[in-house]
Amino acid sequence: MMKMLMLCMALGFAAGAWAQEEAYVVRETELKAKPYSDAQTLFMLPARSKVIVLQRRASWNQVKSGTTTGWVKMLSLQLARGAAQHRSDSGLRSLFNVARTGGSGATVTTGVRGLSEEQLTHAQPNPEALDALERYASDRRAAERFAAQGKLQAQRVDYLAGEKK
Amino acid sequence: MKAIILVVALGLSVPAQAFDFGNIDLEKAVKTMQKIKHAKEDVSEPQEIELGSGIASSLLGAAPLLDHPELQRYVNRVGRWIALQSERPDLPWHFGVLDDADINAFAAPGGYVFITKGLLARMNSEAELAGVLAHEISHVLRKHHLQALKKGARRELMADLAGEAIKSKGGDERLRKLVSAGTELYARGLDKEDEFESDRMGVVLAARAGYDPYGLPAVLQTLQSINPTDSNLALMFKTHPGFDKRLELLGPLMSPALDDWERQPDLNQRFATVIGNRK
Repeated sequence: MMKMLMLCMALGFAAGAWAQEEAYVVRETELKAKPYSDAQTLFMLPARSKVIVLQRRASWNQVKSGTTTGWVKMLSLQLARGAAQHRSDSGLRSLFNVARTGGSGATVTTGVRGLSEEQLTHAQPNPEALDALERYASDRRAAERFAAQGKLQAQRVDYLAGEKK
Repeated sequence: MKAIILVVALGLSVPAQAFDFGNIDLEKAVKTMQKIKHAKEDVSEPQEIELGSGIASSLLGAAPLLDHPELQRYVNRVGRWIALQSERPDLPWHFGVLDDADINAFAAPGGYVFITKGLLARMNSEAELAGVLAHEISHVLRKHHLQALKKGARRELMADLAGEAIKSKGGDERLRKLVSAGTELYARGLDKEDEFESDRMGVVLAARAGYDPYGLPAVLQTLQSINPTDSNLALMFKTHPGFDKRLELLGPLMSPALDDWERQPDLNQRFATVIGNRK
């Protein structure tokens, strides 16, 4: 298991960060010169045609179709199976290298842990971890400062109405 | 009702016991009526938090917290900032990264939200993290887990909780049973409509918080490309509607409605820095 994981990460690394993912066009869609609805249409991509995804910018993906590079709406694409594995980067590696916790109360319970159905049904309380969770919590001011550092600005946006049944 | 009439009729033929039997049944009937009345009431916010903290504790018993304090604090700030844009900004919100390779995220009543490191490792930006946290926050806002418990096998206990027959402190056995039922919900899943509703609300909350709202769809698209036989996705597949269906429903709802906000930052650099930092 561990070996396979390392192999996957090595391959992902070799393929480069998140570029070069294979995807299929779900429905006929316009290949645009720029990531805007009113940008010039280069040509139509028929359903089920194959493209290479280079990057995402909000609702748009930059793709390569043959020798032409352009932009399509992200939701008109479906990534090929296994495509996202190539995104694995140093972040993934470091996350999986972090050892299981000692400080947040991993010591007491017996039995196998994990998020399978069986394990969830028989889960025992872990009050030490709940205390640790309390220590990491953010108050309003810290959250606002953090948002300002990232230049995030609160907006007024209405909730979307669901489908009419 | 028929049973009461029968008991009263029987009681009449044995006068000495008539009063007792009738009295007990009357008491029972009144209690049932009260339970029906309470079933329509909501549990109070302190009770919701009490139940949620019990469920969170159980979930942490199944999968512990990742020992990465900087990352834990980072996820709490992203989550709290989003929650501040919601209709319940002042709940005691708690966010946690679970040390588990499974690909999933969870919410519990009262403001508890968890994401596995398996899911976090497949994300590319803070906007994607925000999208997933906002989906989970929406489950809390709409009280989806409380609704599911009210409809389930433990509905009578939920009525007791609403009627304050359960005293929260001191380890009431009935509260323990509710916590257990709440934890089992993670294995069974919520109503599909609740998931779709949280998708719709999640993308809006992300936009309100100033993020590129396409983070959640981008994560769904990434997950769509993982081999469905991957065991880390087994629980997600069992408990959620398919990624294809979720994306199909979100697409037309988001555009053009959220077009004005799609140029907002995704903060992929800040995300990469925190994820990449060893503690």
